[in-house]
Amino acid sequence: MTMAADQAILLATGTALVFVGAGSVGFSKNLLKTVMSFQVAVFGANLALFSSGMGFGSRLLSDAFVILSVLVGASVEAVGLAIVVVVYRKYHTLNPDEIRRLRQ
Amino acid sequence: MQSEYVALLLSAALLASVAAALLSSKVSNSLIALFYTSIILGVAFTAYGDALLGLLTMITFAGAISVLLLSVVLITGESELGFGPRRLATAAIPLAGVVGAVSLLVLFPGQAGGYVGADSSVNVLIFLWSVRPWDLLILIVVFAGAMVTIVSLLGGDDHGS
Repeated sequence: MTMAADQAILLATGTALVFVGAGSVGFSKNLLKTVMSFQVAVFGANLALFSSGMGFGSRLLSDAFVILSVLVGASVEAVGLAIVVVVYRKYHTLNPDEIRRLRQ
Repeated sequence: MQSEYVALLLSAALLASVAAALLSSKVSNSLIALFYTSIILGVAFTAYGDALLGLLTMITFAGAISVLLLSVVLITGESELGFGPRRLATAAIPLAGVVGAVSLLVLFPGQAGGYVGADSSVNVLIFLWSVRPWDLLILIVVFAGAMVTIVSLLGGDDHGS
């Protein structure tokens, strides 16, 4: 089964966004930037799921997965932001290394 | 052939805005770039025939999550909300209007400025209620659970100290 060019472009972009977001989650020195990187990874997953269903006649399954991904991603991000606020109130910094040092 | 150019353009815009969001040193600039990323993703979904997903993405990420991020940025004092020179912003507003109008004409060639009939909106919404109503119920429960967690995390501040 061949893949259309626009489908391949969107799939490659989505995959790249997932890897960029996941990599940035690991290397970020600010918890807010970590949450933003997670959002980028969610964007990439949504785009890859959407483009994976483009070649078929009915896209209901991929649409359902994208809606699921959007709402679960938004919920996880909201909880992550709440945790960031709680951590900032307790340690007065958003640097993970600094937080680790203050905990010891 | 034209859809490949659209895909290339949207992918380039997505990657550029993501790079701006992740490489910017100021958190507030990252927030603005992330807002544009949400908008571009919604436009991409809409351009490929799924207006419902585009609207959902824009409402959820560009609307709710961006406001939530902005609140947290303001609470934590990480904000340096300088939007650059005021003249540049004033010049960008009509340009944004022109780009928006051209995008509408390209995306909805037969409907720009016209009345979108009731049938099309019903057809969009019938996907929600005829195919997977239980999925939606589960998602609403997950979202409500997340909101309850946030309220309890932010509200239980006085017990520790």
